[in-house]
Amino acid sequence: MRELEKIEVDTLVVGSGIAGLQSALDLADQGFSVAIVEKAPSIGGKMISLSKVFPTLDCASCITTPRMASVSHHPRITTLTYSTVDAIRRDGKTFTASVTRKPRYIDEKECISCKRCEEVCPVFVPDEYEVGLGAKKTISIPFTNAIPQYPVMHPEHCIRCGACARACPKDCIEFLQEPAPVEIKAKAVILATGYETTPMTAKKQYGLGKLPNVISPMAAERLLAPHGPYGRVLRPSDGMTPGSIAYVQCAGSRDKSIGIPYCSRVCCMYAIKQAILLSGSLPIADITIYYMDIRAFGKGYEQFYNNARAMGINFVKAKVARITEDEKHNPILRIERQEGTSGPDEVKHELVVLSQGLIPGHDASAFGLGTENNDFGFVKLSDEMVSSAVTAGAGVFAAGVVKGPRDIPDSVVDAGSAAMEAASYMRKL
Amino acid sequence: MADAKKLAEQLKKLNELRGPVPQELRDRVAAQNKAQRAILDALKEGPKTAPELAAAAGLPHDRAIWYVSALRKYGKIADVPGKGDYPKYELKGGEAK
Repeated sequence: MRELEKIEVDTLVVGSGIAGLQSALDLADQGFSVAIVEKAPSIGGKMISLSKVFPTLDCASCITTPRMASVSHHPRITTLTYSTVDAIRRDGKTFTASVTRKPRYIDEKECISCKRCEEVCPVFVPDEYEVGLGAKKTISIPFTNAIPQYPVMHPEHCIRCGACARACPKDCIEFLQEPAPVEIKAKAVILATGYETTPMTAKKQYGLGKLPNVISPMAAERLLAPHGPYGRVLRPSDGMTPGSIAYVQCAGSRDKSIGIPYCSRVCCMYAIKQAILLSGSLPIADITIYYMDIRAFGKGYEQFYNNARAMGINFVKAKVARITEDEKHNPILRIERQEGTSGPDEVKHELVVLSQGLIPGHDASAFGLGTENNDFGFVKLSDEMVSSAVTAGAGVFAAGVVKGPRDIPDSVVDAGSAAMEAASYMRKL
Repeated sequence: MADAKKLAEQLKKLNELRGPVPQELRDRVAAQNKAQRAILDALKEGPKTAPELAAAAGLPHDRAIWYVSALRKYGKIADVPGKGDYPKYELKGGEAK
């Protein structure tokens, strides 16, 4: 372990997705100092990996990147990436967080982000940013617009050939780097730890992630992104342009059998968005959405749904019971139609996207700050009718999906309200 | 550039700390190198689709498209413009390092 680094700020923000970034900026712009801790090597959270946002079809990174840049350049914001919050202790009216900076195995002060190490590294590993569809090197910069632009080495895949160290013009590869402890003192904490999507293995009827052409919505986002793994929409089993694509709605929510009875609020809209984008990049493809009911409740959402129908996307009210595949890895859906000729049917597609739901990204109650979780592991607000950010723990506020599934506009709005609540709490101290 | 002696010392210490590089990892990297070479060699004959590259390199189809994405990302191969169910790939700048 390296020497203990001490940071003292007004507010600690845990998580740097769009909610964490927005609440950090809103506080820092009011004059408060903020430390933002992110477990991934780059700030930006889930949103930076999305292709576009609904219902405006604005480019997601065009909205996220300026906020990421503002946070990383803000004089009152300290950003700790590739770092974990191990514990937060309450000392009277302040909090002390124990944070670990994980080793990137490079000297961050010297690195000039030239990517020479990445170019010469001989080992390919699946790229988690591309949801495994693409490849990266054992030492690599996480993605093109990552902030900060530092490479990370994964020692478990390193063959210790030393090629990166020989190629580095600044001599900053440190094979023996160790984790570094950081202590952050703050007056308030904003939890913005976001979500994960329901795992591919959640439902055995849908293939447990073993069917190559049954993919997650995050993988579909990467296929649709202009700089995605294949540079165009292809299916992962053989690189074919899919001619028939299906979405299975409620594949990870509203399903008591997997312990997620709630509606995840975004799946209808992201499926419609992806369907519209797919019909743009694959104009002759058949796109079908199998749904229970479409929940298009936000501003402009119903119009967006009607546009999708008008564009020729097939909406079939049916529950998908089972997914199998034929010998060419074409997914076969066993469905039960709920309109027209009701009854079971089998339909073949070439690519299937499971519209997975949102589950908590982190158990915030484990910090022991007096916050409580609801039945599904999201942070409970102390009084939802009065504030959208105040938790049962004094000085602890919640922003974004940590409180329960919500879309990007809602996350941004209540990140602002978490910042306001934290500011007013700190002024009263 | 790293000092060769300092680098050798670091790598030696790393071997002492973590033990030798696992054989499974060595085998995996050898297989990766073989697959890449086979794909690049096959493309010397002209543009090919992912299943054609899979057949030429003796790889499963899903592995072939994964290597295609890797070689494409690191600038060794490029997309051939055109239509069809399976897009074709070619060597970038007519050479493969």
